[in-house]
Amino acid sequence: MWKTILAGLRARTARLVLSSIAIALGVAFVTGTLVLGDAVGEQTRDNFARSARNVDAAVHLAENSTEQEKGIPADFLQKIRATSGVEGADSREFGRAALIGGDGKAKQALVQPLPTTEKLRDFNLKDGRFPTGADEIAVDSKTAQIAKLKVGDTLKLLGEGEAEHSYTIVGSYQQGASSLSMSGSDHLIVSPEGMRTLVPEQRIYEIVAVAKSGVSQQQLVDNITKTIGPGYQVQTGEELTKATLAQVGDAASEIKTFLLAFAAISLIVAGMVIYNTFTILVAQRTKELALLRCVGAERGQVFRSVLAEAVFMGLAASVLGFLGGIGVSAGLQSVISSFGGPSGGESEIRLPISWVTIAAAFGVGVVVTVLSAVLPARRATQVAPVAALRSQPDSSDDVARTGKIRIAVAAVIALLGGAGVYFGLQQQREEPALFITGGATMVLLLAVLLLGPLYVPLVNRLFGKALRGVPAKLASANAGRNPKRTAATTAALMIGVTIVAMVTVVAGSGRETMIKKVDERFPSDYAVSSSVYDQPLTQKFADELAKVRNVALVAPELRAFGESTKLEYADVTGYPSEALGSLVRPPLSEGTITGLKDGEIVMRDKEAQKAGVGVGSTVPISGKDFKVVGLIKDNSYGTGIVTLASAQSILKEPAKGYQNLLVKLAPGTDIAQARTDLERVIATSPVAVLNSAAETKAELNGQIDQILLFIWALVGLALIIALFGIANTLTLSVLERTRESALLRALGLTRGQLRQMLVVESILMALIGAVVGVLLGAGFGWLLVEAISNPEFQISFSIPFGQIGAMLGLAVVAAIIAAALPARRAARNSVVAGMAEA
Amino acid sequence: MRKAHDMSALVSEAGAVGTTAAAAHNLVKVYGKGDTAVRALDGINVAFQAGKFTAIMGPSGSGKSTLMHCLAGLDTVDSGAIHIGQTEITRLNDKDLTKLRRDRVGFVFQAFNLLPTLTAEQNILLGLELAGRKPDKQWFDTIVTVLGLRDRLTHRPTELSGGQQQRVACARALVARPEVIFADEPTGNLDSRSGAEVLDFLRMSVRKLGQTVIMVTHDPVAASYADRVVLLADGRLAGEIHQPTTESVVNALAHLGA
Ligand SMILES: Nc1ncnc2c1ncn2[C@@H]1O[C@H](COP(=O)(O)OP(=O)(O)OP(=O)(O)O)[C@@H](O)[C@H]1O
Ligand SMILES: [Mg+2]
Repeated sequence: MWKTILAGLRARTARLVLSSIAIALGVAFVTGTLVLGDAVGEQTRDNFARSARNVDAAVHLAENSTEQEKGIPADFLQKIRATSGVEGADSREFGRAALIGGDGKAKQALVQPLPTTEKLRDFNLKDGRFPTGADEIAVDSKTAQIAKLKVGDTLKLLGEGEAEHSYTIVGSYQQGASSLSMSGSDHLIVSPEGMRTLVPEQRIYEIVAVAKSGVSQQQLVDNITKTIGPGYQVQTGEELTKATLAQVGDAASEIKTFLLAFAAISLIVAGMVIYNTFTILVAQRTKELALLRCVGAERGQVFRSVLAEAVFMGLAASVLGFLGGIGVSAGLQSVISSFGGPSGGESEIRLPISWVTIAAAFGVGVVVTVLSAVLPARRATQVAPVAALRSQPDSSDDVARTGKIRIAVAAVIALLGGAGVYFGLQQQREEPALFITGGATMVLLLAVLLLGPLYVPLVNRLFGKALRGVPAKLASANAGRNPKRTAATTAALMIGVTIVAMVTVVAGSGRETMIKKVDERFPSDYAVSSSVYDQPLTQKFADELAKVRNVALVAPELRAFGESTKLEYADVTGYPSEALGSLVRPPLSEGTITGLKDGEIVMRDKEAQKAGVGVGSTVPISGKDFKVVGLIKDNSYGTGIVTLASAQSILKEPAKGYQNLLVKLAPGTDIAQARTDLERVIATSPVAVLNSAAETKAELNGQIDQILLFIWALVGLALIIALFGIANTLTLSVLERTRESALLRALGLTRGQLRQMLVVESILMALIGAVVGVLLGAGFGWLLVEAISNPEFQISFSIPFGQIGAMLGLAVVAAIIAAALPARRAARNSVVAGMAEA
Repeated sequence: MRKAHDMSALVSEAGAVGTTAAAAHNLVKVYGKGDTAVRALDGINVAFQAGKFTAIMGPSGSGKSTLMHCLAGLDTVDSGAIHIGQTEITRLNDKDLTKLRRDRVGFVFQAFNLLPTLTAEQNILLGLELAGRKPDKQWFDTIVTVLGLRDRLTHRPTELSGGQQQRVACARALVARPEVIFADEPTGNLDSRSGAEVLDFLRMSVRKLGQTVIMVTHDPVAASYADRVVLLADGRLAGEIHQPTTESVVNALAHLGA
């Protein structure tokens, strides 16, 4: 029997190669998706939780610790380093110093020491190297860009007691989103000794540690807890990552869910491509098996040979596909990084390979292959050998009509999907609405796919009517000859296009959501502050700033210290009313801040608690009663926020000026241009300095865009695989129809016409898939938009006609490319040889 | 206005009796190279008269199919020349050969003559459509009636019997009124009754309509329908029989050792 198997393998090389390609493509798709998905996960973690990178245990002061003022005792670092299981530990600390810029003005900057443990550095080196000597320094790349500093320059810092320190810049680095970079301040790295000379008495609030290999994060946490005793919060790295990501918002977890959904889709598409290929081979296969049975092979023997062959082929092709998938995801990533986000091409190629990826890839490759090969073989061995021998490809018994059962099942699934969509639309919150509706549309898609054999011939006939010329008519007839096959071939593309259309909407709105979150954190684009405390910025200066091109709003900030019978301190922060809710937008725990009137206050909740007041009651400040209209957690506004006029009324004498000016740019302004414009006005004031919130924001948004690019890459991958599926089906059809092609050539079809026929057939299949996919995708996208939108968060649904037109055009081009090889092959075949083919 | 039954007048323009419809001169065709090379055609000289029904016979592997494929412009030759009418087809490129097949030659193969996606009628008219020619409605009706395909026109090949399929193939070959019709074992797959139907029709189209038909066959009965039998052996001409009968053919074949 083995001889027969091997002989069979050799004799049917072309078909084997094609089905192996189908398997390899499917596996490559699954591998690529999962690897890319994990890469996105890593990228997200790295961008938004880089401070937790490699951390196995983190020590903080307990939330209610009485030691807040003192921080973590300095000797803890040594203790933790000496704890068993710890490979390395470092403190995360930063001190303040004034950076003397090129204009001679001092500007607040944060300075951190270089962690001694390499793994614990929560930043990536961009240029040069990290500081080693006490007089060396590395500059954050954004800081370097804004302050126009480069490696080799000298930099001056004013440390404690106005002591001036000089450093040589030896490198630049990039920090992920951490409390440090999110502060929007300029920041720098010095060596640990450098840190001690600059800030001798720096308190420590965080120590992070890496475990020795083989030590679990939990074990490490337990060991450290034992060493340092109670009163401290010790987290595992995993917990720290989660906490850090939570600070950025749950955008990251949304992406994760999205990727999982995509992985599931990739499994379906891959399974389809493989199954489809095998279905095409069944007709030929059936004859071979029947012949084997005719010459005396037993049913079991035939069956085992098919099984062995399928397992062998599945495994071999899966290995190829697996490697291919890794290659593809590497390729796509390098394409992405060459396009680059606004943050530039610092992204590295990530190829995380998890066990899940390996299992899924080989599972699909081998299991689907075996099922696709064995099920038809079972059917083939159940009929009489002679009957099987007689069967002809695409004869009426081969092309099963769309069964009533299929229609019934599709109807039930469609009902379920419809109910799900309805339920999803009822949801108030964005995320459940998105996922329930999204999931339900996928269920609807399944129903539509099941009904494919029903409407695909109709669409084909519709398109066919528009065609002129014999080759085109023949092509339409060919595309319509086996509705099931055509439906299955177009289905892969249909899924791809549907997803693309949906992703256009979802990704767009996802981006909106994330950018909205970044925006919440940095409501103003720039803050201009005075570097000298008793020389505030004047109203005249504020007016000048407001005149700068593209500045939408300048909101002065006025601190007023009053007194209250109910409170220990009564320092309020005043802003113009129009800036509240837009430029100043602290998260509220109760009430509202928008439209705050004179005589009203939004209070810090702790202060309100102490004073025993709540929303609706009044609190006296400097002899005036303020009505409490809202509560905030944030402590950066003192007792609370009032209007500018209210703050002024608390002051004993009119304010000389403002400590801070918040600047909002018109939407879509180029920040580099805006900075140059603003700097021109700033130069007129001896004390004004510009901070870099806008750049920080741009960087964060750039990182979000980078993640979205990954998702686009995934979608691109799905389309590529679907088109390969078409090419594969077409190639197999060409093989199967060798005699027909030869007959047509004999009857006078020229080579060009034969090629034309196949190209048109390919275009027809691609268009059927693409058109149905676009319609579905647009419809589903509309449902999703409806589901996500609520009174607070509106996204408008618009059909991107340009993009859709481009997509259809692309489908046609890709179809032509897909048909190129099979068409060449068919046309090259000699007529006589073709006729002789069995 | 031509009358439907005036069929000889319709076909006579395709090839006048007495002239040569197809001819081969010193035809050589070699398959393979070196030791395994097979001289399928080994210097054949043969001419086929227009308006005649010629059968080609010979042992299996003698080169019958090869000769027919070369004559019909389906295959290339290694040396020698082939003429269809006045045209030396061995000089034509692929494009012109395709045109020649489309416009001047008809085929009936042993099996698999029809496209499964097309109905019988579409199959019959396929060659004309490819040539961009309008079918002659009367001529089409005549052929369909004579071949008894009237109520089968909307059927697909899978819904036709083997004999019916071969008749559709004959109809397709005839409807374009080609100079020569080549048929390679057209009755090989048919029972004797269906075979007789097809052969009757081919003979009728030659006798009554002046069509030229060249047919390969193994069957002495089939050969007896022809005006002349050409015998092949080892890629060479091995004799011919005029006005063959079943017995004369059997005898001749016996002498060839087939
Ligand atoms: N494609 C090919 N490659 C190699 N040899 C071939 C090929 N086609 C035919 N031959 C050889 O050429 C010779 C003539 O073949 P041909 O098919 O013309 O024979 P035939 O007379 O039609 O036989 P049959 O009566 O069995 O159909 C044979 O020896 C055959 O083996
Ligand atoms: Mg032959």
